[in-house]
Amino acid sequence: MPADSAQTVTPPAARLDREPAGAVLRLSGAWRLAGLVDIERELTALKLPAELAIDGAAVTDIDTASALLLLTHLKNAGVDVQQLPLAGFAANEARIVEQVRKRLDEVTKPWPHRREGLLAHIGRETMAVIQLLAGHLNYLGETLAQMFRSLVAPGTIRIRELTAQFEQVCLNAIPVVALVTLLIGVVVAYLLGLQAEKYGANIFVVDGVGIGATREFAPIIVAVIVAGRSGAAFTAQLGSMRLNEETDAIRTLGLSTMDVLVLPRVFALMAAMPLLVFVGDVMSLLGAMLIADPMLDITPTTFLGRLQENLALKHVYVGLLKAPVFALFIAVIGCRMGMTVQRDTRALGVATTSTVVQSIVAVILLDAGFAVLFQELDI
Amino acid sequence: MPAPAKVIEIDSIVTRFGEQVVHDGVSFDVERGTLVALIGGSGSGKSVLLREVIGLQRPTSGRIRLLGTDVWNASADEMNATRRRFGMMFQDGALFSSLTVAENIAVPLTEHAQVPEDILDALVSLRLSQAGLGPDAAPKMPSELSGGMRKRAAIARALALEPEVLFLDEPTSGLDPTTARGFDAMVRSLVDDLGITVFLVTHDLDTLLTVVDRIVVLARGKVLADGKARDVIQVDDPWIQSYFSVRTMVSGSPEPT
Repeated sequence: MPADSAQTVTPPAARLDREPAGAVLRLSGAWRLAGLVDIERELTALKLPAELAIDGAAVTDIDTASALLLLTHLKNAGVDVQQLPLAGFAANEARIVEQVRKRLDEVTKPWPHRREGLLAHIGRETMAVIQLLAGHLNYLGETLAQMFRSLVAPGTIRIRELTAQFEQVCLNAIPVVALVTLLIGVVVAYLLGLQAEKYGANIFVVDGVGIGATREFAPIIVAVIVAGRSGAAFTAQLGSMRLNEETDAIRTLGLSTMDVLVLPRVFALMAAMPLLVFVGDVMSLLGAMLIADPMLDITPTTFLGRLQENLALKHVYVGLLKAPVFALFIAVIGCRMGMTVQRDTRALGVATTSTVVQSIVAVILLDAGFAVLFQELDI
Repeated sequence: MPAPAKVIEIDSIVTRFGEQVVHDGVSFDVERGTLVALIGGSGSGKSVLLREVIGLQRPTSGRIRLLGTDVWNASADEMNATRRRFGMMFQDGALFSSLTVAENIAVPLTEHAQVPEDILDALVSLRLSQAGLGPDAAPKMPSELSGGMRKRAAIARALALEPEVLFLDEPTSGLDPTTARGFDAMVRSLVDDLGITVFLVTHDLDTLLTVVDRIVVLARGKVLADGKARDVIQVDDPWIQSYFSVRTMVSGSPEPT
C-alpha cells in the first residue's frame, strides 16, 4: 500500500475560459496547503472579471486553506463570492468549499495585532517598574509589621517551618559559601601581593585582605550566593504553590500566608545570613593565609599575629551588621515575587529570574548606602 | 481521496512498566473518516496508547501503523513527514504560553508550510472559526482564555496544517455540559464536512452516546469490546455495565445512536 506522499501529485492550476454563457474559472490538480504559493501564482496571473463561475471538475483534491486562498482572491477581485456558482466539485470537495465560503466574511476581517509603539512600550514598562517598587515597599512594611507582632508574641512563630527553612538556607549553603569565599580570599591576596611585593610591603597584604574581606567581600559574595540560591528558591516554591492554588487553600483554611509561608523564610534567612558571612570571613582569611605563605613568605603565625594586631573588630561587626539587612531584602523580594506570580507557567520562570536580578541590585544599592552611612558615622 | 482505508493500525501492542503490564496484546484498526473513541478505567493505559500511536512513547512490543507509516520503525524523515499529516490536542491544550493564540496557530503554518503573507491572518481566523472561536480570540494570550477556549485554541492549532487524522485527549473534560455538547458538534462536523478522521480518549458518556461512530473499550490490558455504542452497552462485562449504568440510571434507557 503506497503512502500518500509517494503518489504523484498534479500541481494546482487555474484557467479562465470565456464562454458564451459567461466566464468560467476552471480549476485542476491538487489544491493543497502545501501548494499555496503555486496557487497564488496561478491566480494572480489571471485577469478575473467580476462575473464568473467556477468549475472544479478537474480538481483531484481541495482543502480549506486553498479554498480560503481562492475565495479571498476572488473577493479581492470584486467577485460576489456568496453568489458565485460552483460546479463540477465532488460532494466532499463541495462541502469543504462551502465550509470556507460560509465563514469567509468573518475570517477575512482583520483583527487587532498586539503591537505597540516604542513610546507606549517605554511607558508601560516604566509604570510596571514603579508599580513593582511601590508594591515591594508596601510588602516590606507589611512584613516588618508582622515580624514585630510575631516577636511580641513569639508563640505565633512556626518553629518547625522555621527550622526546615533554616536548614535549607543556612546549613545546606555552607559548602558553597565556604568554597567560593576561600577562593576569593586566595585571589584577593594574590593580586594584592603582586603589587605589594614591588614595594616590599608584603605584610600589608594581611591588613588589606583583613579589612576588605570582612567588611566588603564576604558580605557581598555571600549575599549574591544567597540571592541566587535562596531568593530564587523562595520565588519558585511560593510561585508554584500559588499556581497550584495551595496558597488559596491556606487562606481558605483560615491561615495567613504571611505567617505560614513568608515569615519563616524571612526569619530563617535573617538568622542564616550573619552566620554565613562569618563562615565567609573565616574562609577568605584562610584562603589568604594559604597563599601568603608560599608567595609572600608570610608564615601562618606571622599572618595571624598581624591580623590580631591590625584588624579592628569594627570591620567584622560592620560586615555582620549588613548581613541581616541584605537577608531581609532578599527574602522579601523572593517571597513577594513568588506570591504575585501570574497564573501561567512562563511567568514563574520570569519571576524567578527577576528575583535574582532585583536581589543583587538591592544588595549592591544597600551596600553603597551603608558605605556612605558608616563614612559619615566615622566607623 | 485515493488513500488507504485504514488510517491507524494497532497490532498486538504490549506495554510494560517494570513488572506492571499495561497493554497485553492490544489490536484494532481505525478507518478513514470515522470518529472513534477509546475508553477505559483510570490506569487502563488509554493515554499511554495514544502517546504510542503518535510516536511519543515506545511500546514494549507490537506494531503501530499511522497513515501507512510504521511509527516505531520508520526513519526520522518519514516520521516527520507523517507528523505533518496528523494533529494532536493535549488534555490541557499545551498552548505555548509565551505566544498569542494567533501565533500559536501560526507556528505549524510558518514552520512546515509556505503560506503567503497576505492570507496568513485569514487562515488563522479560519482555523479559529473551525474550532468555534471568533477572531477576537486571536490576539489574546493563552493565560487570558478560559479552559474551554484553551481547548478550542488547541484544536485550532492541531487543525492548522489540515491534518488527515486528529487525536484528542479528553476533549470535554473540565467543560460545562453546554460547552461540551458544542464541542461534540464541532468535532462531528470536522469528520462529516472535512473528512478528517478523529480518534479520541474520553470519559464523557454524552460524547460516547451521541456523536461517536465506534467505541473501543480498553480494560485489563486487552480490548474488551469494540463497536457501535448500542452494541458495546450490551456487552456482558461488569466493568462495562457499571460504566454505562450511571447513564441508564439518569435517563431510563440509553438512546441508540
